[in-house]
Amino acid sequence: MTEAVIKSKQPELIQGKTGKSAPRKAKSRFSSNTLWSGGLLVPVLLFFILMNVVPTIWMLGLSFYDYTLTSAKGMEFIGFDNYTRLLNDGPIQLAISRTFLFMVLAVILQTLLGALIGFLFWRADRMPGRRLALTLLFTPMVLAPLSSGLFWRLLLDPVFGLINYFISSLGFEPVNFLTNPDWAFTTVLLVDTWMWTPFMALMTLAALGSVPKAELEAAQVDNLSMWQRLIHVIIPYAKFIIVLGILLRTIDVFKTMDLVYLMTNGGPGDRTELIAVGLYRLAFQSFNLGYSSALAVLLLFIAIALTSIYLFVLNLRARKELKDQS
Amino acid sequence: MTTPDGTSSADLPSVRLGEASQRDRRWTLASLFSWVVALIFFAPIAWIAMSAFKTTGQILSVPPLFIFQPTLENFTEMFQDPKIPKFFFNSVLLSVGSVLIAIAVSFLAAYSFSRFKPPGTDFLMFLLLSTRFVPAAAFVIPFFQLFGILNFRNTYVGLIIFYVMFSVPFSVWILKGFIDGVSQRFDETGLVNGASRAHVIFRVVLPQVKPGLVAAFVFNIIFVWNEFLFNFQLGGTDTNSIPVALFTALYQGGAVNWTYVSALGTAYVLPLAVLIYFFQKYLLVGMTFGTVRGEV
Repeated sequence: MTEAVIKSKQPELIQGKTGKSAPRKAKSRFSSNTLWSGGLLVPVLLFFILMNVVPTIWMLGLSFYDYTLTSAKGMEFIGFDNYTRLLNDGPIQLAISRTFLFMVLAVILQTLLGALIGFLFWRADRMPGRRLALTLLFTPMVLAPLSSGLFWRLLLDPVFGLINYFISSLGFEPVNFLTNPDWAFTTVLLVDTWMWTPFMALMTLAALGSVPKAELEAAQVDNLSMWQRLIHVIIPYAKFIIVLGILLRTIDVFKTMDLVYLMTNGGPGDRTELIAVGLYRLAFQSFNLGYSSALAVLLLFIAIALTSIYLFVLNLRARKELKDQS
Repeated sequence: MTTPDGTSSADLPSVRLGEASQRDRRWTLASLFSWVVALIFFAPIAWIAMSAFKTTGQILSVPPLFIFQPTLENFTEMFQDPKIPKFFFNSVLLSVGSVLIAIAVSFLAAYSFSRFKPPGTDFLMFLLLSTRFVPAAAFVIPFFQLFGILNFRNTYVGLIIFYVMFSVPFSVWILKGFIDGVSQRFDETGLVNGASRAHVIFRVVLPQVKPGLVAAFVFNIIFVWNEFLFNFQLGGTDTNSIPVALFTALYQGGAVNWTYVSALGTAYVLPLAVLIYFFQKYLLVGMTFGTVRGEV
């Protein structure tokens, strides 16, 4: 049922391969195809150049300058100095390692919980009102992170928040979740988990849906235990989509900004400063355009590396499917 | 894709037993737990929606009120503020306007990528996807300066152009996937029988990728509807959308106006939840940027 979008290996259009000696008609077909293939791309390429290539080059350029909006000095070309500074910048490195910690914890937590929930919904495929239940489950992940952050500030308020009401009715002291240095990181992690566990549940559901029904029935006939079915039948098929889900979550953690920005703005101190938040603060609170661009370039490279890994896995799957078909 | 009527459960592994059993809804332990989980995840949003019908005193009450006399005052008050309809108008105009353009140009590009595979196709597809994987904050500075030079700041034209590019990567990926799924035979048969390439593109292929167009439309609308950072930095009072309105409500004066936040938040969430309900079968392809297809 579920299929990764396959780079189709259909034969090239014959006309495209026509050589010099071909009849005139085929030749005109060839140029008309080239015209069409290029022409259809023009609008997207225009947008792409204006809104991606130009800003990227701009960013690369800025990263070689010492340029702070608030200083009267103006722009000064300093070569790779911003980058060498980046290598020795303690707070930035701390933010990067904090992002990695957040990533590992968030991805593990969300994958496990999501797998459990996905499995539950998969078993409950004939539950009453399934579509409504799934809508309720999936809503957190389609909200703007900004609004989730806002909502949780109300829920986590130390005085009138719902969560602290439950905590104090269980007999504990109310917790100042977002301003207590011991709690802020965990709180942000848990809110992120609330938002994105449904995504991993969605991926799990899709992954389970990709297991051929015949194989599942065969396992049932063979009287395999649920555990054996999981190891020998379900996981071999389901793992691809789960891995894609894990990769997408990993990529997303690097982008996590709005949620943290709204809940804690990186604080208290720097307890919740993930790298994207740090970048934003560098650019728009200290107005250090040159230096923040160098950091942006670094994050761009990380994104490109992660995209390569993602597509590698995606193509791996596509190739396997092609092999299975033939 | 599958069922045209959109019943979300029709394609589940164990439901392919025939027409009659599809209606055979059952309360099992698993379905009971599933409902509990769904309600737990939705509870925080439900609480905000409840707060939208409370007075300020009721929201700030300790202990929190679960049962109260609901009031519509927050909503009437909110829509009396002339800025609010403007925020909604901006959100709708920016998302619908940019997404329609994005889908049109993306469809053409996706057709070219799928059928002609011009040199660099894979590389371009890769670049497009990677632009969606970069933290938004990385690109804010160059866009901010670029928009200053082009006089695009706080204009609909500027923001729509920005959101077109914001929507293109996902649209190209999803539509290429759907066009790949349409056999080349259709194109060849059409061309051999004397149809023009344009006819093949718009009359033969286009109708067959309607689900892809719908999915691209719905999810791009959601992404633009939710986008905050660029609207906040590149837009202004004329072009700001609802997330920015929520954000500024938070930092207006000293205390947060929670009735305003929860009423506006509820009005903002509602369309999203409705979209998720009706277009659930596209959720997977939507949330994976068009790279994974299937249903849940």
